[in-house]
Amino acid sequence: MIDIQNLEFSYSKQTSLLSNLNLQLEAGRIHGLLGKNGEGKSTLLKLISGLVFPKQGEINVMGFKPEKRQPEMLQEIFFLPEELPQLTLSIENYEKVYAPFYPNFNTTQFNDYLKEFEIENKKSLLNKLSHGQKKKVFIAFGLATNTKLLLMDEPTNGLDIPSKGQFRRMVASTLDDSRCLIISTHQVRDLDSLIDSITIMDGHEIVFNEPTENITKKLLFRVADRNEKDESVIYSEDTLRGLYQVCENPTGEESKLDIELLFNAVFTDKKRIMNIFK
Amino acid sequence: MNTTFNFNRLGLLIKRYFIENKNKELMYWGILTLVFCLNHQTDSARMIIYIMGFIFAAKLFKIFSYTPGGMHYLLIPATHLEKLVANILLSTVYFFGMILLTFSIGNIIGTNLINALFNQTNSISWDMFSLSQTVSIGNNIPSAFGSPFIGMIFTFFIIQSVFLLGSIYFKRGGLGRTMLSIFGFFLLLVIIELFMFKVMFGSFSVTGNMMASFNFTPENSPTIKIIGHVFKVMSYLLTPFLWVVTYFRLTEKQV
Repeated sequence: MIDIQNLEFSYSKQTSLLSNLNLQLEAGRIHGLLGKNGEGKSTLLKLISGLVFPKQGEINVMGFKPEKRQPEMLQEIFFLPEELPQLTLSIENYEKVYAPFYPNFNTTQFNDYLKEFEIENKKSLLNKLSHGQKKKVFIAFGLATNTKLLLMDEPTNGLDIPSKGQFRRMVASTLDDSRCLIISTHQVRDLDSLIDSITIMDGHEIVFNEPTENITKKLLFRVADRNEKDESVIYSEDTLRGLYQVCENPTGEESKLDIELLFNAVFTDKKRIMNIFK
Repeated sequence: MNTTFNFNRLGLLIKRYFIENKNKELMYWGILTLVFCLNHQTDSARMIIYIMGFIFAAKLFKIFSYTPGGMHYLLIPATHLEKLVANILLSTVYFFGMILLTFSIGNIIGTNLINALFNQTNSISWDMFSLSQTVSIGNNIPSAFGSPFIGMIFTFFIIQSVFLLGSIYFKRGGLGRTMLSIFGFFLLLVIIELFMFKVMFGSFSVTGNMMASFNFTPENSPTIKIIGHVFKVMSYLLTPFLWVVTYFRLTEKQV
């Protein structure tokens, strides 16, 4: 669905933000895009949607060049930015204005999502809603567009605790083999049950891009005793319950993926992780 | 699907504008009708039309001054051409039509009100819409546009297209920066003119009165006639040229 080759991007001539970035993302998955602040995650989402243009390299999104911003491509992309636009429209009018641009928009779905988020009054003005409520409206709208590609930048920021669970349920229910979701987030605990492919950016490039089933096949996530010493440990974190560890998994032992531990492991010993997944 | 231009999408973009700006528009036109009630002198009404026109045009791409707004706008599934044409139609056909309508309503109400209040018998003046031929530039060279009304339409279109370009060219303060750019442009023209006068006549004056010593009769000068025709053609082409520049600016826009 998305094929990025040798991508270079910078906002100024002096500093390069993304360099020689290669990435392939397939449909039917929820991709978690992770990285430290300023690594270029939001910029990568902007590049994929055609909001900014690469300095060098190629981006192919569903067979389109994003920088051309053709309506055939745009009607199959919904981008939920971290900062939402200020629109002096009611929810009802927002739907009336923007839904016709998306051929697969489903009003019943939209109403159901709003109901699940407990937003009952569609006559409410968007600019009068709190940040969290506004985000819920845009999430509901984005999911109801049924676009093939859904890009979400920090979607759970501003959502209250019950809404995070509702969000996970909604997203999980909309995914099918033809859709691709990319979620850029720092809130990995909110989404670790949802994401099924992890992409990590470091040093302005992709250092890790694997589906979760591959990760748990090759890495073991465990809680170990403090006295236990093991050469297979890649990363270890001391907690009250013991040592949370990421280890090599030569026997293919099953374990539950912990995205935060994986993220820290990648940053602790990038080369070793990269070698394991070669 | 038509990848270049689709009237359905164009209609949706225009509908979007009206739904998003319904209240502002009602207030705007209401105030203008009131202004024209109080002042419907042709010359000052023309000035109001130009000023309100460029303020309106300068707002059309103002959405780019706020990054999330610009992102939202660029991601609307419509071509750049459709987005541009929607804004051109709003800034020209819609705005010009509405301002003439509000002028006419204001003119009728205002004149009748003055007659009733001050016991006068003024007739409603429709000089604004005069299609009679006129001359300009020292009463020697015919106006590029023929009649004052046609001239007003073309002047209005040129001003609108300049400010429409300014609204997308400058990320913030499009109105002020466009006005400054126009001022800078004309200042540059004056400096070039004075420099040429200095080179050609040895002295210079903004009014060009150092040419008085030359036996110069513009109505007989073929050069001046050619310049008049060139000016006419340029006047007609300037607006579409600026629209084309605006189109490319929109296609290159990154937020």
